[in-house]
Amino acid sequence: MRVKVEVRLKPGHFDPEGDVAAKSLRDLGFPVSTVKVGKVYILEVEVDDREEALRLAEDMCKKLLANPVKDDYSVEVLSP
Amino acid sequence: MRKLYDDLEVYVIDLSSANDNELLEISREMGLNISLDRMKYLKQYFSNRPPTDVELEMIAQTWSEHCFHNVFKGDVVTDDGRIITNILKTFIVRATRELNKEWCISVFEDNAGIIDFEKGYAIAAKVETHNHPSAVEPFGGAATGVGGVIRDILGVWGEPIALTDVLCFGPLDTKYEDLPSGVKHPRYVYSGVVAGIGSYGNNMGIPTVSGAIFFDKGYTGNVVVYCGCIGILPRELYVRNTGEGDFAVLAGGRTGRDGIHGVTFASVGLTEEAEEFRSAVQIPNPIVEEKLRRAILRIRDEKLASGITDLGGGGLSSAAGETAYRSGLGIDVDLDKVPLKVPDMAPWEIWVSESQERMFLSVPEKNLERVLEIFQEEEVEASIVGRFVGSGRVRVFSKRRVVCNLDLKFLFNPPKVTRRAKIPEFTRVEVNLEEPKDLGEEILKLLSDPNIRSKEDVVRTYDHEVRGCTVVKPIYGDEAGPSDASVIKPLKDSWMGVVISCGINPFYPDPYWMAANSIEEAIRNNTAVGGRRIALLDNFVWGNPENEENMGKLLRAVEACYDFSKALDAPFISGKDSLYNESPLGPVKPTLLITGVGIIPDIRMVITPNLKKEDNPIYVIGLTREELRGSAYLRLKGVDSGEVPRVNKNLSKKIIDTLVKAIDEQLVLSCHDISEGGLGVAAAEMVVATRGLGIEFDISKIPSETRRNDYVLFSESASRFLVEVDGNKSRRFEELFFGMPFNRIGKVVRDVGLRIVDSKSKICELNSSDIKKAWRGY
Amino acid sequence: MNANRFKALVLRTGGTNCDLETKVALEELGVKTEIVHMNSVEKKNLLEYHLIVFPGGFSYGDYVRAGAVWGKRVLAKLRLELEKFIEEGRLILGICNGFQVLVEAGMLPGNGAGETPSIALANNSSAKYECRWVWLRVENDETPFTMTMRKGEVLRIPVGHAEGRFLTRSEEDLEELKRNGQVVFRYVLPNGDDANGLYPFNPNGSMYDVAGICNKKGKVMGMMPHPERAFFGWQLPEWDRRPPEKGDGRKIFESIVKYLHDSNGL
Repeated sequence: MRVKVEVRLKPGHFDPEGDVAAKSLRDLGFPVSTVKVGKVYILEVEVDDREEALRLAEDMCKKLLANPVKDDYSVEVLSP
Repeated sequence: MRKLYDDLEVYVIDLSSANDNELLEISREMGLNISLDRMKYLKQYFSNRPPTDVELEMIAQTWSEHCFHNVFKGDVVTDDGRIITNILKTFIVRATRELNKEWCISVFEDNAGIIDFEKGYAIAAKVETHNHPSAVEPFGGAATGVGGVIRDILGVWGEPIALTDVLCFGPLDTKYEDLPSGVKHPRYVYSGVVAGIGSYGNNMGIPTVSGAIFFDKGYTGNVVVYCGCIGILPRELYVRNTGEGDFAVLAGGRTGRDGIHGVTFASVGLTEEAEEFRSAVQIPNPIVEEKLRRAILRIRDEKLASGITDLGGGGLSSAAGETAYRSGLGIDVDLDKVPLKVPDMAPWEIWVSESQERMFLSVPEKNLERVLEIFQEEEVEASIVGRFVGSGRVRVFSKRRVVCNLDLKFLFNPPKVTRRAKIPEFTRVEVNLEEPKDLGEEILKLLSDPNIRSKEDVVRTYDHEVRGCTVVKPIYGDEAGPSDASVIKPLKDSWMGVVISCGINPFYPDPYWMAANSIEEAIRNNTAVGGRRIALLDNFVWGNPENEENMGKLLRAVEACYDFSKALDAPFISGKDSLYNESPLGPVKPTLLITGVGIIPDIRMVITPNLKKEDNPIYVIGLTREELRGSAYLRLKGVDSGEVPRVNKNLSKKIIDTLVKAIDEQLVLSCHDISEGGLGVAAAEMVVATRGLGIEFDISKIPSETRRNDYVLFSESASRFLVEVDGNKSRRFEELFFGMPFNRIGKVVRDVGLRIVDSKSKICELNSSDIKKAWRGY
Repeated sequence: MNANRFKALVLRTGGTNCDLETKVALEELGVKTEIVHMNSVEKKNLLEYHLIVFPGGFSYGDYVRAGAVWGKRVLAKLRLELEKFIEEGRLILGICNGFQVLVEAGMLPGNGAGETPSIALANNSSAKYECRWVWLRVENDETPFTMTMRKGEVLRIPVGHAEGRFLTRSEEDLEELKRNGQVVFRYVLPNGDDANGLYPFNPNGSMYDVAGICNKKGKVMGMMPHPERAFFGWQLPEWDRRPPEKGDGRKIFESIVKYLHDSNGL
């Protein structure tokens, strides 16, 4: 199963990297008010069951990919 | 072009029937960048059998400007009728040879220059450029530049202990409309390069301790990225005796398509097509190099290998070929043993790939097992890729068949190139400039000039404290003032320090004096903190040398290198040239970086630029003349006339030697070199570094050939220092400098930042906070 | 004080780069110090050591999150042994990346080792790497790491990190840490007053200016600043004429030695 995991800062959380990117984009003349930076992981999970893949991916977020103090995450199956 | 074997991606190229146009076409199509003359030479050499693509690629890499330095090693014919063979040997190496210092251990031979230190240790130093890759992909280009120069130090068995970087960009306020397509905005290049430099050094845990940043239109199309590394090694562990029967071990990152044709890329101008070379940009992975470093230092300490070199330009082909050639041997290499990132690489790609973080070692059979064990313990992939043989040839195998079989003597002796040089001439134009009323205002403007102001915002993103050995940091003290040079204490059980400085004056149009001033500035900066026994490194960044004027300028700069290295008793130990820095905006501003590596016997005696005590006398040493061409002051005024600073060889040597003596006699309390922005800026910079004290001086007391106040304050004449002397020891100080131009011009005061008077009348007065705000931005 | 009978283990993994200077600092005080790679840590009996240090660096390239990968690897390899080590009241110090590792392994603030961290060391609010000397105030002088200092004392130690912004899940969590005396060091102004988040004195935007914390028993401590870079007087950023003999970072190591001495190794 190909699974996409997206980890991003919780809403309202201070995002210095995003702020810097937004500022640089404005410097270049783009009409950008805010940027939020996150990370995308594309995983090949070696199970056949869709639900099982999602469950594993969530567990991965809890155990490694996200820090619940500051991060939100979402998981999505891209293809079987 | 036809396949050599059905099941191998190896082709033979028939040169024997090709006419001139077809030869050029082959060179172009294969991306070899070999000139017609040399293609014709190859046609003749390969009249008996057609070469394979693997062979032609190897020849192209080996003969490239980047690897072979054809211009420095070739002939130069000047318009005044001279023919000079090998300007590297004739000027730069010659100075070193004539100075004949017993503390120079290895110069211009290995991956880095090596000089003696103490307690059986030696210091290795190397500076590289990584301009082209940084122009195309700023972050990756700059980061791999740092990675590459670190491997140069590992390549002489050195443990990297400090990094330096000097960067030159176009003005950050360049208008987008003014950029031709294919040229990236300086702001984009700047942020990528700065982040790349910081990322690699920080990740590796090597402090970035010294550097400079310049902005000028001459760099808008051609960013300049100098990366330097200093290392330390026990003298007895500097091993270089690869023997017949030794195995060739390739260790580190895997080999991929990233960085193919890097050197041929670096040896052509930067055009819109440079984007197509993007695969030539290597991808940085500092953690792999960190592990590689650990493993290599362990192998060194256990004395397991007989030779080492890094994989840089030309990749495996260069590393294998050079190691075999310099050892008087041959080598057989099996490409099937090279660990690959992608499976479907053609043999020639594997052979010349410039993937990062790889090292090449020669290992005697009896130590092979232990070497592989160490690599495994450090989680570094390593494999035996070949064996050194007595053949004098390089043979490359793929699927058990020979795909390259070249005589090393032929390979490393390409036909010489001849370049024509037009010696530049300069006529003096009188400066036409009204004297400004408020000199204080001019000082503040200069302090906040992008080329002079503090680079603290960048410097603090580089870790300069890791390893815990940094004594004088790139930003001095809590007031975050400027440092003339950085000092490292590399050994736990010795007080001796390494002093690292640089000199660079790209704004002086006359290349001879530009080079002379850069050499003296590197030495001055080193001396100002207490450094001595200074070794120099030269790094040229120039435009296309096939242009006679570029070549003429290069020749003049190289001539100055001989003259001033010799006169100032500072040998060159290593150097590198990067030519062909061309973009749609024209050639790069000719730029020579001189790096100075000195020593200080006891780091507790370093001199720093902050003022120490009220009422102490302030001296200026050296003679001020009306030398303002290319100065920060005239550039600010938009004026390009007058004369560039000239260095008086004898006086310079005398002043520097005497200052070292004064420092050793503990007469000097603080010191700052006078360079960009002149005396006015130097005095203000000392105030920046200081809490609660300032300087008052009388301009009429400055030893000067000009009496116009703005010229006295902002001339950039060489060989000058501003010194705070211990009030009780000023007589001895004056005795030492007797017969040289110097004077007591004022004193350290408490009530003001900087007060300048002319005899009794006040010229200007600045408070500390305004001075600090101008230079630091806060 | 003879510290020769005390043994410290400095762990490292790919990307660790402050292990050598940490060893220099410990050995200068007579502590026998071994640097051991995570690959061969199984061969060691942790309980032979009195102190384990997780030093600074960029373990695993800081990929995923600074300290996350090493933190999980520590759990996978050493969980039981470390729990025992902590249970016995032996000392663990995490510096910079080592602090991040202790957080990611759940050993700090110490609600038991586990995969899910309950605090975070997030990107600096300046969005940059910050290499600078800061002022730290001792908030708790009763831990083994601070027992030779007095509360309110100000130390000068440098930081060097891009991810050091201390965050808790909630204000209540922070209050609890304060109540338990788990806040050991805070960034302050040069005169010792609260920084209240003021940059660059608080270099990363940490909540409550927190620079270092310990577990409830005080035996596990993590801090972002690097005491090993402020060990010798000559490492200080500014001296008058000659360097002072000692840097403030040394006090933390001296405190560790005194604690081991007083408690006879445990």
